Amino acid sequence: MASITLDNLGKIYPGGTRAVGDVNIDIADGEFIVLVGPSGCGKSTLLRMVAGLESITEGEVRIGDRVVNRIEPADRDIAMVFQNYALYPHMSVRQNLAYGLKNRRTPRAEIERRVTEAAEILQIGPFLDRKPRALSGGQRQRVAMGRAIVREPAAFLFDEPLSNLDAKLRVQMRLEIKELQRRLRTTSLYVTHDQLEAMTLADRLVVLNGGRVEQIGTPLEVYRKPASAFVAGFIGSPAMNLLDARAVPHLPGTAHAGTIGIRPEDLSIAANGPIEMEVTAVEELGAQRLVHGLTGGEAITITLPPDAPLSETLRLGFDRGNLHLFQRETGARIN
Amino acid sequence: MIENRPGLNALAHLALIAGVVIVALPVWIAFVASTHTATDFSSGTVPMWPGPHLVENYSRMLDAGVSTSGTPPVGRMMLNSLIMALLIACGKIAISILSAFAIVYFRFPLRGLAFWCIFVTLMLPVEVRIVPTFQVVAGLGLLNSYAGLSVPLIASATATFLFRQVFLTMPDELVEAARIDGAGPMKFFRDILLPLSRTNMAALFVILFIYGWNQYLWPLLITTDAQYYTIVAGIKRMADAVDGLPQWHLVMATAVLAMLPPVAVVIGMQKLFVKGLVETEK
Repeated sequence: MASITLDNLGKIYPGGTRAVGDVNIDIADGEFIVLVGPSGCGKSTLLRMVAGLESITEGEVRIGDRVVNRIEPADRDIAMVFQNYALYPHMSVRQNLAYGLKNRRTPRAEIERRVTEAAEILQIGPFLDRKPRALSGGQRQRVAMGRAIVREPAAFLFDEPLSNLDAKLRVQMRLEIKELQRRLRTTSLYVTHDQLEAMTLADRLVVLNGGRVEQIGTPLEVYRKPASAFVAGFIGSPAMNLLDARAVPHLPGTAHAGTIGIRPEDLSIAANGPIEMEVTAVEELGAQRLVHGLTGGEAITITLPPDAPLSETLRLGFDRGNLHLFQRETGARIN
Repeated sequence: MIENRPGLNALAHLALIAGVVIVALPVWIAFVASTHTATDFSSGTVPMWPGPHLVENYSRMLDAGVSTSGTPPVGRMMLNSLIMALLIACGKIAISILSAFAIVYFRFPLRGLAFWCIFVTLMLPVEVRIVPTFQVVAGLGLLNSYAGLSVPLIASATATFLFRQVFLTMPDELVEAARIDGAGPMKFFRDILLPLSRTNMAALFVILFIYGWNQYLWPLLITTDAQYYTIVAGIKRMADAVDGLPQWHLVMATAVLAMLPPVAVVIGMQKLFVKGLVETEK
């Protein structure tokens, strides 16, 4: 177990394209950090730089108190779980788990002990002698995690490990990963583009956009006080309404703001509220109802209880404390 | 396109049967000829059914050979052919899998040039470079040796490309997982690439074995010692009768015998062969 420090980390590809820049993150021992952002934001590159699969062109990565910039992936004391599992197709599950240990010349009895233990934790004991192709997606995922666990590394690196699973299994595995990490207390770095996965798993979230860190914080901090309009729109489902201040000029207290954000769940129907919304579509989710519409030409969404009365136009109100104000040019938070 | 019309079905079968007959007829004639005496075959009418001399002809070829043409017994020539074909097939596979490994997985200076050099050899089959190759082999003192028979035929661009294609379909994550698992390049090659290319190697082995077995011009050129005659070149020598008619019945018996090993290899490795050529999932 160890802490991980990313110090001014950056990556410029040979062609001159900058994939990642100025990343500073201190990951405490045992912490679960989730890197989240849209595709192409550099989150996978960042993870692969920590793993040693991508060379580092700027800054430093430290695992424990050792700078690992020029150390081979195998010697960094990390284990990685890949999106498509990357199991060795010709080896049985047992051999898959043992391969990394065998290469490190771990004594046979010790390998046996660790494999049995990991199999028990992940409940893959019955499949130990099967080939990966005879396993379901969820089982393969477990084997991939088992391969990381048996190594007993300083850190786990997860590269979108759940995106190849169906929705139901994803929710279940998400929970299992969280429990597993809590139990093993291994420092973890997890990459995903799914903000829900990020919110539920993370001790702290790192929101990335265009290769730069937009915000670092606990899921609640990020949700309640997004540092920029980008984070505001990315975290939370349904997404926060971001309105151009010019489209709603009459809102009080928004004089200097370029963009006004308000979460759909913070809006409510109020007879003489300041926002008038023209309803264009309704989505029934069972427990609630998502109503989409337009105000001053800007799209706006509101969540309502399923029995709320609907009409062509709605007047909406909100609590002033729930407004998020952002600068027009930089998108940075004002209030 | 799946249609179920009896008329079309019959037509399709007819076409296929015609094809089979066209391909099989010469083989049948060869077999028939090998069961008759020499005179039966050169007397004017070609017999269509096997004669009574099968055992006699074949045992003569296996034991003694045709002394007048200076060829050793068929057994010896078959052994020579087998050794040459195996050396060529195994040598080609070993060399090309290693060079494909280097080209796909290593970034070294002049990699592009190396790749193109291999590519260019595609345009230089043995027949084209036969005179200089002969000179080199003669200079090295390899005439009348198994090395001389096989080494010049081993370097192979086609097999290198096939393995390159196979390696390119291996997911990158597999390489990365192996790196994280602490497998160095040669360990990765041995533990992961080789087992995963098994079926491709088998398919290639079948093709290359037949290629090696059927070599004609090169063995004919560099073997002057009957000890090293291969069967395909030997048939040619037998058919070259200086003073009289070729003993067709014996030549045909040898030809039939020469067909057997490639057929055995194809039948024996059929399953792996097909799997290696059609399998894409890794």
